[in-house]
Amino acid sequence: MAQDVLNALTLGSLYLLFALGMSLAWGTIGILNFAHGSIFVFAAFTAHLLVQEVPLPLPAMLAVGVLVGAVLSLLVQVLAFEPIQRRATDHRKAEMQILVGGIGIAIIPLAVAQYLTRSVPFGYSGSTFRVTTWDWGFVRVGNVQLVTLVAAFGLAAVIGWWLRAARPGLALRAIGVDAEVASMMGVDRRRLALLTMAVAGGLAGLAGVLLTYYLGSIAPETGDAFLLKAFAAIILGGVGSIAGVVLGAMVLAGIETLVLVTTSGTWAPAIAFGVIFLMLLVRPNGLLGRQEVRRT
Amino acid sequence: MDTRVRTGRRRALSGAGALLLAAGLVACTSPGSDSSGGSGSGGAGGGGGGEGLPDTVRVMSIRALTGPVSFAGLNAQKGIDLAVEQIEADGLLGETTIEVDSRDSATSPQEAASFASQAIADPGYVAIIGPEASAQATAVSPIVDQQGMPTVYVQAGSEGVVIGDYTFRITPPAASYFDLAGEYAEQQGVTTASVLFNSGNPTLVQLGQEVVPELASEHGFEVLSTGGVEATQQDFTTPASSIAGEGPDAAFLMVQGPQYPVAITQLRQAGYDGELIGMSAAGAGNLSSAGEGAAGFVWPTNFTADQDVESTRTFVEAYREKYDGEAPNNYAAEAYDAMWFLARGIAEADSTDRTAVQEGLATVAGEGFDGAQGEITFEGNDARVPGVLVRWDGTAEVPVEAGS
Repeated sequence: MAQDVLNALTLGSLYLLFALGMSLAWGTIGILNFAHGSIFVFAAFTAHLLVQEVPLPLPAMLAVGVLVGAVLSLLVQVLAFEPIQRRATDHRKAEMQILVGGIGIAIIPLAVAQYLTRSVPFGYSGSTFRVTTWDWGFVRVGNVQLVTLVAAFGLAAVIGWWLRAARPGLALRAIGVDAEVASMMGVDRRRLALLTMAVAGGLAGLAGVLLTYYLGSIAPETGDAFLLKAFAAIILGGVGSIAGVVLGAMVLAGIETLVLVTTSGTWAPAIAFGVIFLMLLVRPNGLLGRQEVRRT
Repeated sequence: MDTRVRTGRRRALSGAGALLLAAGLVACTSPGSDSSGGSGSGGAGGGGGGEGLPDTVRVMSIRALTGPVSFAGLNAQKGIDLAVEQIEADGLLGETTIEVDSRDSATSPQEAASFASQAIADPGYVAIIGPEASAQATAVSPIVDQQGMPTVYVQAGSEGVVIGDYTFRITPPAASYFDLAGEYAEQQGVTTASVLFNSGNPTLVQLGQEVVPELASEHGFEVLSTGGVEATQQDFTTPASSIAGEGPDAAFLMVQGPQYPVAITQLRQAGYDGELIGMSAAGAGNLSSAGEGAAGFVWPTNFTADQDVESTRTFVEAYREKYDGEAPNNYAAEAYDAMWFLARGIAEADSTDRTAVQEGLATVAGEGFDGAQGEITFEGNDARVPGVLVRWDGTAEVPVEAGS
């Protein structure tokens, strides 16, 4: 039982790490970035290429992942999303075009990684960090598992605090509520959008490297599988709520683990997404989503 | 994408020179020759080959050269290139050369079906080498079978691929040689086993839910549990903990290639130290990232570069020579056999008429031949090979010696 709970928390942490960056960009500057999965994979892949040449410890690998993720995300913002936003006639069209543009952009780094790896999984065997597992009697836990749990919950807490208490965070939330009014109040939307995309990309890169350590290896297509789960976790928790993403990721992972443990496992995704669908019928804005306020 | 493979044209010789050449071809191109393509084909071959053929025969090869199964498509392309080179050098089709038009389906069923329709509409194409992924193959098969276009598949192991006279498959179903795993389990004294399978792949579902339980009853072990994971499962922590908790003598893992290193690593981390047995998807370099952590993992396969079969050794030697010492994997071997099979069928037909080529392929299939995969026979239009059991030694796959 304790092992199952730990496994569910770990799986939830994996979803959470991936979803945090997506949720941050979507909930504040309104960018649903479907290239997030590709950034995640390409940052992990770059770290893989580097560690084949130079043996690096875990912190250095994480730094590489964060850096590559942030740079890629900034490039996507500057080269694709900003021009779309400038040319779109209205906000709704811009959102749709960004969504489609993200899907298109995602193909480029994915294709490069697929070509270079021949779609064969890659890992960090060249790293100086060694995965260790401890048997505590009632539960078996690994060092990467602990790092993943701490990173996921720690980062969620830091981002949640930053959005609630720090001045730039409050400005970002203001943009999320009403971008026009926020601009009139002196909020520099472009600078904050770039900062948000850099942080989101950095989180994707961090998640990519951590996940590669935890799983032992990932394939170029791994990002696609996580994208769907992260999207579901954000919707379930409520767009714009960091606590909601945490809850959404944990609920999704909890249901999947429960189904895996109590049945043959074949129906895990169907049951998990079925339950999410039912929850959304009751709470359309997600478990902790903010209520829409319409003024006449 | 159109990467045409043109392997040169031989000019027709005339008079006595042609007669001499034809006589020479009888000696060196007969299906019974021990040249690179192996021996024992039922093709017309010999001096008669090519008399009813044009200067060039065109074949469309629909490959996943990009996308998630590009590892299969790119390697298959290499096998086809080598086969074409050898077939022409061998003179199986006389003076006729083979032009292979490779089309990148990008692992899309729609693209694959579209390319197949293009090939059917163009009378210049005599046959198709079909796509690897089952989803693509099942989209192509009804079209080619209905329109009478001979098609030879590589991989594409699911139901609904070989559906009529015009569809052939050179990759044997994993179930046909999977008894090797049962024999191995029995030799190792396995009495209990757990099964984990990918529920999104028909071949893996069949292996997990039907084939392994059959092996259990035949080889005297009990299946403790059979669990499924979703098609794109990334984290195996929970199923790994469950299997480790059961503590079986063997765990059968029927998952997709990229899932193998993760599943094996997490099973070992969960404390499982029994036998680990998989299937052929574990090959083709998929275990490299797991390294020593996957050492000891065994699986039955239709091909490994070190298998002790003469026709395989001939193929591997030629492949290494052409590709700078690179060892071929099963995808390259299967596509190589597919190209030779097709060429033998065309030689047997001595015509580019599609019905005649289908009949030629059926004749060759009836007699079987030796290829890169070893001795290839057919059940209907579906290939069978003896198979070989291999083990991951931490850096490479090596054949398992009997009794070891």
